[in-house]
Amino acid sequence: MVDFNVETRENSHVNVVNLHGYLDAHTAPELEDVFTKLIDDRKFKVVVNFENLAYISSAGLGVFMAYVETMRENNGDIKFSNMSPKIYNIFDLLGFPLLYEFYKDEKEAVQKFNEKS
Amino acid sequence: MHNILMKNILVKKLFHWSSTRKLQNAMTFSVILFLFRLVFPDNLSYSPFFVALSEALVILTFYSITLYIIDFIEEKKHSPLSVILNAGILNALIFFVLSVISPVFNELFGSNSNGGFIYSIAAIFLAFLFIVALSYNFSVFRSLFFLKQKRNPSFYFNTMTGFFLACSLASTVSFLHVEFGDFKTALLVVSILLITINSIRTSWIAFLTKKEKKYLLIISVVLSILFGVNIGLSNSGNLFVTQALTEFSPALHEFLVLMMSYGCIYFSVVFFTTLFHMPTAEAFDRKAQEVSSLMDLSRLMTQVFDFKELAETVTDITMKVCNSDSAWLISGEDGDFNLSAVKNIGYLEADKITDTLTKSYGLRKITGVKTISLEQLKAGNSTSAGEMPGTDFRMLAVSPLKVHDEINGYLIAARKSEDAFDDDDQKSIAAFADYAAVAIENAKLLAESLEKERMEKELDVAREIQYKILPDKTPQIENLQVSALFVPAFEVGGDYYDFFRLEGDRLGFVIADVSGKGIPAAFIMAEVKGIFESLARLIQSPREVLIKANEALRSSLDRKNFVTVIYGVLDLKSGTAFISRAGHSPVLLVRDQTIAELKPCGMGLGLDFSSNFSNSLEEIQIKLKENDILLLYTDGIPESKNAELEDFGYERFNKVILENAEGPIDIISKRIMKEVAIFSQGKPQHDDITLVIFKWKNKFNKSGEV
Repeated sequence: MVDFNVETRENSHVNVVNLHGYLDAHTAPELEDVFTKLIDDRKFKVVVNFENLAYISSAGLGVFMAYVETMRENNGDIKFSNMSPKIYNIFDLLGFPLLYEFYKDEKEAVQKFNEKS
Repeated sequence: MHNILMKNILVKKLFHWSSTRKLQNAMTFSVILFLFRLVFPDNLSYSPFFVALSEALVILTFYSITLYIIDFIEEKKHSPLSVILNAGILNALIFFVLSVISPVFNELFGSNSNGGFIYSIAAIFLAFLFIVALSYNFSVFRSLFFLKQKRNPSFYFNTMTGFFLACSLASTVSFLHVEFGDFKTALLVVSILLITINSIRTSWIAFLTKKEKKYLLIISVVLSILFGVNIGLSNSGNLFVTQALTEFSPALHEFLVLMMSYGCIYFSVVFFTTLFHMPTAEAFDRKAQEVSSLMDLSRLMTQVFDFKELAETVTDITMKVCNSDSAWLISGEDGDFNLSAVKNIGYLEADKITDTLTKSYGLRKITGVKTISLEQLKAGNSTSAGEMPGTDFRMLAVSPLKVHDEINGYLIAARKSEDAFDDDDQKSIAAFADYAAVAIENAKLLAESLEKERMEKELDVAREIQYKILPDKTPQIENLQVSALFVPAFEVGGDYYDFFRLEGDRLGFVIADVSGKGIPAAFIMAEVKGIFESLARLIQSPREVLIKANEALRSSLDRKNFVTVIYGVLDLKSGTAFISRAGHSPVLLVRDQTIAELKPCGMGLGLDFSSNFSNSLEEIQIKLKENDILLLYTDGIPESKNAELEDFGYERFNKVILENAEGPIDIISKRIMKEVAIFSQGKPQHDDITLVIFKWKNKFNKSGEV
């Protein structure tokens, strides 16, 4: 199996979550842990960078749905960036663009956060 | 050959009589002896032949009774102390008869031995009493002699018994011919020598517990004195009982002297042996207990997989073997310990001690067994001294539970005294900790395999639910060919499709994919089916149906769950399809060798419950033409993967569809599945695959406009 891994880093007061590999029902809990920790640390401004993600399943999509509300309630958000067309197509079919902000570039997404505040 | 076998059986029969048979023999000889002596009461008045006959009868009676008694003693030989105690009581009786009854009888009959009938009756009864008592003694000595002997020492014992017999018979001869007295004395000396040599075989003492040894020390000193006194009494010629016994059978009297000597010597030896064993008794006890505890534990390990039960046993044994006042096990991560099998100490107290140990010593530092003084901990821990529990315990021994160099807990033994746990204690605790570690590991592995089994069961259930929910046949419609294909993944994926015959010659159709897998997905699927079954009949517009479905699912969907759906209604009269899409893969329309994606706007059910959802939702209308194909699918097809983790993709998908669009629609779905199978090269399918195909046939339509 191709592994999945996730790392977080800070970029101008915004938390960037980098995804690598395959995000499915078996690896989704790893990402859930990351989001739980962000909320525990009261870090609500999150940009998820999809540059290195190869695959996402419905369970992977569910992770963002589970946490976005908490982020928004606390003046934060989950924004997506650097998605390949294939991955974007999945999000698009589902109707995510109606509810989430997508950016070509991580910098753009971070800027968007800092503009607001 | 046959003869030898017969002979063996015969010999066995002769010498292995049943106990009733032995009793019968003993009774028979006793009665013969009794009658014989009743008729011929006075040994001295008859010829040597009568004396010899009488002695032979005495020996036979003695032998038969001994055979009977030996069986009894053999049964009880595993508790030698009780056997010895019984023998002691019997010999106290002999002492009583010799010392108390004798003077009474002396008074009754005077010193004259020719007392007539009553005298001879009394003499016979006394003789029988002694025969029984001596055969009991003899049996006890024999059992003790053979007890816990590794090599068979029967040669020594048989030789000694032979000399006993010779000495007894010599006594009879010297009774008639006094000049043989020296010969008898010589035999007696040899017998006593043999007794002394044989008395050294007392290895059974080592196997007694310390308590039993103390007890034996007292019994053996009492018994050796008792036997000594009995020798003296039985040798004094002016006592009535000795006199009567000698006259009845000199051999029996001699045997009495020999047995008393044996007892005196044997129990003296036992006394000293026990005395020398005393200092090591405790260590021996402990080793024995340790060995039997370890044996118990290893037996338990193979039989019991319940960690709790094993933990209880481990702490129990630790307490017993290591002389500690209490013991408990801790397992889990540093700082988050679980206490289990807490023995002889309050849970809270044990918890506090563990806590103190963790804070002021640091359990991680303990990689091998260690003994720790609580006092020193207190002293070295001045900051939290106030928190120290008021506990009676002073000394701790801690051993890690290690499996494959990984520590997953600790075994703790505690003492109220200030004595440190010595090397032996520590070794035992380490050994028990190892057992506990393996037990924990086993319990963990078992739980894992149970969990796996449970998951497989769950999958079976989910698959069963899914099959029950899906329609078992496609609707039969004149002007519409309908094909449906469903291939489940190993882990149930939550695909659902259905058809509804609606009023006004309409057909409702739905294809859905529930996020997630297994039982939770299967349950949501069941709910989705219920929702569409009812809404399809109530509401005409697919868009409205999806809006209501989203509301209906609000309460049962987790935040992270969603359902993608395509719901459509086909007017079978006009060939018009009304289709709405909620986040699902688009419908493919195949017309004139081209594929068009029908992708009305709409987000998945469960993504949003505000007006965003209904605002986004569109409904499209398609007028079908002759041979138009509508193809609905779940993402299991384009996302099927090969060994290189490449997707089957839309290109291959579209190609197969177009290649087969002309033929019957069942062939289309078969070809698609075949291509997917060829592509994935045996890699297991990771998601359900569902494919629903419609082909419109205008010509059968009565109101049709071509």
